[in-house]
Amino acid sequence: MEEKSSKTTEVILQGNEACAMGAIYAGCRFFAGYPITPSTEIIEMMSSEMQKCGGAFIQMEDEIGSACAIIGARWGGKKAMTATSGPGYTLMQEAIGFAAVTETPIVIVNVQRGGPSTGQPTLSSQQDVYQARYGSHGDYEIIVLSPSSVQEMYDFTIKAFELAEQFRTPVILLADEVVGHMREKIEIRDGSKQIKSVKQKYVVSPQEDFFKGANTLVEGQLHDDKGRRIGHLAGRSGDFINNINKKISDNVDVIADIDTYFMEDAEVAIVAYGSVVRPAINAVKKARKVEDDRVTTKFKILKDIFVKGIPETFETDYSHLKVGLVKVNTVWPCPEELLKEATKDAKIVIVPEMNVGKYVHEVERVLKDKKVIAMSKCGGDIHTPTEILDEILKEAGIDE
Amino acid sequence: MRINVRFAGSGGQGVILASVLLAKGYGLGEDYNISQTQSYGPEARGGACKAEVVISDEEIDYMKVDEADVFIALNQAGFDKYKDQAKKDAMVLVNSTLVETDDPNHYKVPATDIAEDMGKPFVVNMVMLGALTKLLPKIHYDTVIEEIQGNFAASIAGMNIDAFDKGYEHAAGLLKSAN
Repeated sequence: MEEKSSKTTEVILQGNEACAMGAIYAGCRFFAGYPITPSTEIIEMMSSEMQKCGGAFIQMEDEIGSACAIIGARWGGKKAMTATSGPGYTLMQEAIGFAAVTETPIVIVNVQRGGPSTGQPTLSSQQDVYQARYGSHGDYEIIVLSPSSVQEMYDFTIKAFELAEQFRTPVILLADEVVGHMREKIEIRDGSKQIKSVKQKYVVSPQEDFFKGANTLVEGQLHDDKGRRIGHLAGRSGDFINNINKKISDNVDVIADIDTYFMEDAEVAIVAYGSVVRPAINAVKKARKVEDDRVTTKFKILKDIFVKGIPETFETDYSHLKVGLVKVNTVWPCPEELLKEATKDAKIVIVPEMNVGKYVHEVERVLKDKKVIAMSKCGGDIHTPTEILDEILKEAGIDE
Repeated sequence: MRINVRFAGSGGQGVILASVLLAKGYGLGEDYNISQTQSYGPEARGGACKAEVVISDEEIDYMKVDEADVFIALNQAGFDKYKDQAKKDAMVLVNSTLVETDDPNHYKVPATDIAEDMGKPFVVNMVMLGALTKLLPKIHYDTVIEEIQGNFAASIAGMNIDAFDKGYEHAAGLLKSAN
């Protein structure tokens, strides 16, 4: 994704701060937002940083205002972003549909918290994974990225700007409280990336910024390449809808991205996205006993340090268990072919999510021939590795 | 090596800031990976507050703490809630002004008393961080002091460093008497 020559600096940042830094690196020079926990640090940082890099920041009256402002800013020629959490994301839906139909490249960050409504302001969830895809009315496709580390909060924000410009579409960075508030050591890039807006063959709306195109007309009704209304013409309207959907659905192979861990021979597969990926990797390593040496070393060193107690070790051997993990980076469009390929030897697929069980239905739809199991967790806490390992053992028919 | 550190206290005691400075102390001072997370309620003051730091020389997968290797309690409620989620051989450090414990192996620092004697009750977290810096391996006094200086405005950095020093010295005394 990046030029190899670009220099990097190692820093400790919070996920939300990393998101803001990523946006600035990607060339974001307009930010409009309304503060809401647990995304406020993004707005805080943008309020000071935008001035420093010659951009503009506005604290808006509400979230729909924020989303509309960044649409306007992008048509004015500036790369633009807003950030919010569930309640604010709900208020943005009308503007997201408008951005989809006008084919406006913008980035919207949703640092998820527990809902519905005001819900749990300070606690985490993945309850908005459907709203991210289906929130606005009408037929449209959208790109949604799901980061699981502070580094990915930075990298995926940059990627979100690239995909937005490449496909002229709103892109959602669907984070959650855990990755938003977590601090980790990451590498950030020096300077600024030039992301070019590519003329897209599928794009049917005007593509010239206000200040460049003399005839730019931004129209919420279905329209032609000059922005003139075509909503009264059934045939051309049908083509329009097909085109704005196809520009994403025909390019899933370009957009979709997953990572796999121990999937080469996996008979039990975990499919996870966002912060839940982290305990899931740990559970898979425990099942594979990959951690064994590490645990022994760890306790030896700790014992040397504190000179107390007896080192604990794993008593049970699950090394015959063939377990792997598929980490979904682009939750939408669903990486169907990649999922099928990665899980081709798996019989059982477990989908842990911090919601009532949502993305599991998409996984079920794609992996029809497998036993797909929801592992839902509500209430604000992330799954623990032990909980996921227990589920693996249960499904593998091993009684504890 | 992976060390799981858990802080517990109430909102307003500076629990999260102490954990952030500890994480930076390890992450920037030595070549460790760190993950710092927190959990708290919607209140600005009061309410339970928990912060966790994972320190490892390998990539950190699970970023939270199940069973703590190091447990720091700033108030009784936090101590009671999480004391059973610390390993048997865990290092336990308590703010003994507010936390009662009979265990002779627990390190006791009267952090609230120390802070109040300074006339600055809000520096209790710095006292605890000072003690922790003395007790834990591979974390350097100078690195943490630098982080404290970077975190606060110059006008209040001094009092925070004073509090940190008092905690550091108190822990040095504890170690001396233990030997």
